[in-house]
Amino acid sequence: MSNDPDKVWPTGLTLREAEEVHSYLIDGTRVFGVIALIAHLLVAVTTPWLG
Amino acid sequence: MFDYKRFALGRIASFGTRYMPFADVACKEVPLSRLLRLSLFQVTVGMALVLMAGTLNRVMIVELRVPATLVAVMLALPLVFAPFRALIGFRSDSHRSALGLRRLPYIWKGTMLQFGGFAIMPFALLVLSGYGEAVDAPRWIGLSAAALSFLLVGAGVHMVQTVGLALATDLVPQADQPRVVGLMYVMLLVGMIVSAFAYGALLDTYTPGRLIQVIQGSAVLTVAVNGIAMWKQEARNRSRAAAPAQEFRFTDAWARLAGRTGMVRLLAVIGLGTAGFGMADVLLEPFGGQVLSMTVAQTTRLTVVLALGSLLGFGLASRWLGRGGRAMDAVCLGAMIGIPAFGLVLASAVILSAPLLVGATLLAGFGAGLFGHGTLTATMQAAPREQIGLSLGAWGAVQATAAGLAIATGGVIRDLVLAAPAAGTTAASPYVPVFALEGGLLLLAVIVALPLRRGDPAAAFGPVRAGAAEDPGTDCSLAAPGP
Repeated sequence: MSNDPDKVWPTGLTLREAEEVHSYLIDGTRVFGVIALIAHLLVAVTTPWLG
Repeated sequence: MFDYKRFALGRIASFGTRYMPFADVACKEVPLSRLLRLSLFQVTVGMALVLMAGTLNRVMIVELRVPATLVAVMLALPLVFAPFRALIGFRSDSHRSALGLRRLPYIWKGTMLQFGGFAIMPFALLVLSGYGEAVDAPRWIGLSAAALSFLLVGAGVHMVQTVGLALATDLVPQADQPRVVGLMYVMLLVGMIVSAFAYGALLDTYTPGRLIQVIQGSAVLTVAVNGIAMWKQEARNRSRAAAPAQEFRFTDAWARLAGRTGMVRLLAVIGLGTAGFGMADVLLEPFGGQVLSMTVAQTTRLTVVLALGSLLGFGLASRWLGRGGRAMDAVCLGAMIGIPAFGLVLASAVILSAPLLVGATLLAGFGAGLFGHGTLTATMQAAPREQIGLSLGAWGAVQATAAGLAIATGGVIRDLVLAAPAAGTTAASPYVPVFALEGGLLLLAVIVALPLRRGDPAAAFGPVRAGAAEDPGTDCSLAAPGP
């Protein structure tokens, strides 16, 4: 373990690396969210629920 | 005093390297098991291709009663993305990442696109066919949703295949590249054959619910298999991560690649030959059925024979090139085998001999296997180390565009001749110009390829990257686990 001041606790990644990992999480959430929305809309068109 | 922070950091660090999706050290020797695992991405690509071009093609027309022209347009949509393969490859070459990754993010994004397309595809198709309450829905909803789903899957397939092949090229030394190319082609074929049988069995009794299950099951399988394929494959490159941002433009990178001796010529050979071999793909079965009156089971076997021939070609090319044979020799031989093969196809129509057609099909498949293997190997060997993604992107762009255009052209020529009310037409006459054109394209490919073969291999496609290796790989057995 180096005492690199750039590395943040607890992962040992640098700040920029941590932000990049986080960006994958955010992007994935957005993409899956949009896809789930479209899929729900299409299902609602074929078999409408809620009346 | 017990240093809790140090203890926790140590544990997390060792935990992290075991369970992080990237490799910690770049190895000189990549074991075969790891390459086999990487080649799994080709299985999902094959699965997507079969599902779209084979299974859904039929389901949309027969079960969902979507007009055939609309189906053809939908299935051709992913082709729009084929030229962008070069751009994707270039982007992955010059990807800026603090983690020092450049292939993994793109394979992951491609996988997500594939997953997203499959996730909405069944509902889009049901809306398109007017199932349930969708009869009253505006037409554009079904059309745009189906187009979106096919575009997403197509873009994902192009992305995963381009960057996956680039990663494979990164991983292995040049001497082993022929074997990797063979492995990739074989896995693509295996994925296509296995999934064709699986889809056939699963959709034997068609219900809308079953369609949803099968397509969404493919979506989950794609993410799972691609996840296994890319796990710990790319090493983090700290020097690349720390390097100052360099702004390359695509046009500059392209000009550099196209400026290399023989590169444009090689791409022309790939386009001509792929078009020559690809035109027969969808016409062999109707040819066997209409001209030689073979049954459906027999014509299906024709496609199996074609695949078998390709397998033989890949196998031979792997052995030959793996032992130091030159890739361009395999390219020329493959194309030269294709010319008499299509001549024999035409001869089988004259003497009405089904066994001759089967033999010719095997020969055509064999030539296509040799040609495909040779061109991909030649592209890998011609690629400069820092432009591997762009080179393989260009290979994929030319190859996919040529194959798609060839299939469309073959169909159009046949239908035009069929529609022309010429006197004295036989059952074979619509196919004759197509197979003749294929032979002509292959002849042209050989003529264009010959100077590459005669040229000094060291100058054109020699081991250019021996001195300019960017990643000085370490021996895995000696390397300590990363800090």
